[in-house]
Amino acid sequence: MVPEKELKENLIRMHDRRIALLFILPAVVLFLVMAIYPFIYMIYTSFTNLNLSMSGTGQFIGLSNYFEIFHDPLAMGSITFSTMVLLIAVPIEMAIGVLFGLLIRGLKGERIFRLLFLISMMIPGIVFGISAQMIFNYLFGAANYFLSFFGVPEIAWFGHAATAQFVILFLDIIQWTPFIFLITYAGLLSVPQDLIDAARVDGASRWQLFINVELPTLKSFIYIALIIRLIDALKIFGKIYMTTWGGPGMATSSWSFYIYKVGVSYGWDIGYASALAIILLIVSAILVNLLIKVLNLGETLELKREG
Amino acid sequence: MRKYTILMVVSVLVGLFAMMTMASVSLSLITSPDNGPSLQWLAQEFEKQNPDIRINVSIVSWETLYPRLLADLRAKSGVYDIFTWDVMTAGSVHSGCLDLTKFFKEHSNIIPKNYDRNDLLPLAEKLGEWNGDLIGLPYYNNTMLFYYRKDLFNNPKYQKEFYDMFGRPLRVPTTWAEAVDVAKFFTKKYNSNSPTRFGIALMFPTTHTMFYMFPLFFGPYRRSPEGIREFGSVNITYGDYFTSDGKPAFANKYGLMALEDMKALMPYAPDPLGSDYGQTIEYFSQGMTAMCPQWTNPYMQFKSSPALQPYSEKIGIAPMPGRSVAGNWALGISKYIPLEKQIAAAKFILFATSKWATLHVLEKFGIAPIRESILDNPEAQKVIPWVKALPTIYQTETFRPRIPQEPQLESITDVYFSEMLAGKIPMTIESLKKLAQKWEKVLSSK
Repeated sequence: MVPEKELKENLIRMHDRRIALLFILPAVVLFLVMAIYPFIYMIYTSFTNLNLSMSGTGQFIGLSNYFEIFHDPLAMGSITFSTMVLLIAVPIEMAIGVLFGLLIRGLKGERIFRLLFLISMMIPGIVFGISAQMIFNYLFGAANYFLSFFGVPEIAWFGHAATAQFVILFLDIIQWTPFIFLITYAGLLSVPQDLIDAARVDGASRWQLFINVELPTLKSFIYIALIIRLIDALKIFGKIYMTTWGGPGMATSSWSFYIYKVGVSYGWDIGYASALAIILLIVSAILVNLLIKVLNLGETLELKREG
Repeated sequence: MRKYTILMVVSVLVGLFAMMTMASVSLSLITSPDNGPSLQWLAQEFEKQNPDIRINVSIVSWETLYPRLLADLRAKSGVYDIFTWDVMTAGSVHSGCLDLTKFFKEHSNIIPKNYDRNDLLPLAEKLGEWNGDLIGLPYYNNTMLFYYRKDLFNNPKYQKEFYDMFGRPLRVPTTWAEAVDVAKFFTKKYNSNSPTRFGIALMFPTTHTMFYMFPLFFGPYRRSPEGIREFGSVNITYGDYFTSDGKPAFANKYGLMALEDMKALMPYAPDPLGSDYGQTIEYFSQGMTAMCPQWTNPYMQFKSSPALQPYSEKIGIAPMPGRSVAGNWALGISKYIPLEKQIAAAKFILFATSKWATLHVLEKFGIAPIRESILDNPEAQKVIPWVKALPTIYQTETFRPRIPQEPQLESITDVYFSEMLAGKIPMTIESLKKLAQKWEKVLSSK
């Protein structure tokens, strides 16, 4: 026989739970409608030939879209630039971001440097792109103007593959290095000061201090920043949209930009674009999991908790 | 008592507002920046004469227009009542468009007595059709013009220098081969006495722009007697990129020659592979180039540019050295909206394409006319000088395909042409044949 007091408490708890569910229900419904349903619909359309420009499409065609991707030179070409972003821009961002974090920590005027350094991260990618269009304009751009002082002839930044790729990578580095810096800086702030003092008393050099005291703490922060940047780098879009439009040719067409071209811009081939998006999702998931395994992230975080 | 008075006043106001909204038909019009300002103005003028109809004009970027419009038509949701569509998207939009031929027959009473449908330019009206049905009233009879610096071409000093350099008179080029010499003359790198930095502003970016620039160069070959003999006459459904029986017409020496003509001009243009519509307009507006192939509407920007004053002396307009390309826009009505809205929408598009509207949007916004009477109108010709050149241009302009697969063909072609012009893939007939094979694949998957 349950005591009356306990029964009353159970009823109140159930009632509270119902109220709580009612409060979160709109958010859940919104999430289901705006995120989950479109995602499931995208998976479905990836197996169809749905094309907005042609009536009578939308039939189930199995894995045809997926097979088509591997025979599509434009899709394969997009892999090249996406890989460039991952293998060039991201490592540079990591290196400079960590270095800046180490340099600025403890520097006179640290707060001002910190603020100035974070400005570029706060600028939306589209705005970045518009600025880049103006800065790298062939005739009127600031880049060519300042380079002319060093006798460098005008560069057609968006007209050559190499320079167009350089511009996009450069913009990505400028925009996202502050993010790595911020993460590193936060990590450095969490290093126990007494450990640093003890190392200094023991006569450790700056390098030894970094390797033996700061880096073990920073590791997990750096790894997490790397994973976040990897996922984000695969989604690079705004800068390309506002400057090169993936050109010249396919030189600066990332996978996500190609999805946009196929599905939204002027292709309207929703079925094929959905398949491309699913592949991007799968590749991102594989890369992230691989990175977690390689970096031993699980163990690192466990060590961190125990430390 | 005071409380009840306020409540009564508020109720009356709410009631009046409700009556007003219920009494009026509200239409949603979606368009791109090419047509947006003129349509906004027309909507205001229309509402003055039709207070029971409200028109909300949404101006979205060209890239955003079609995904939104097609998603709406495909879903049959009727979000947009009226929309503008490009000439080459006819095949894509037609299934959602109201059949105006049938509609005007059934509701002939809404056509104003002075509308004069016979005054509409036949080609413009034809471009508003799909499979013989009128799916849009022509609104903007856009085409490409060849802008040049009249003052420089007429300058005796440059005329003499050009003659000394090339052994022939300096004149506005009538072929692309002529344009190469003129462009070289006006490029500082090749002629230190050139008054301009570059000879010509060209746009060959890896965008939709490339697809309409190519016909300017390919058109002369496609429409030559040899081209007609080999590929048949051009029909407006498939356009100049295709043979008369719907096969790619560019994978041969003519397509290659067109690309070579484009490449020959590139050294005399500022970053052609990296420049698009906005950049080339700016280059010419700032007096950096002597020539610029562009659409009709940038004329308004050139006219107001400080570097091109006085504009009547500096801005010259001529037909394209090759052939121009059609860039018509039409006004369509969604067939998925209620009849009441269809009638209101039809009234608006008839108003927007009337003689009065055509003349005023030409003068105010540089919207190329769709009516014969406006082309011949002395007032129109005085205000907008290129009006005089239009009849000749309309007779010789080229067309892009209007089939539903057009967007996919564009996507592939822009990349291929860009890579050929950049030298990344060989500029050969074999490369063009590979492109044509991709076209065949897209066409066969319909």
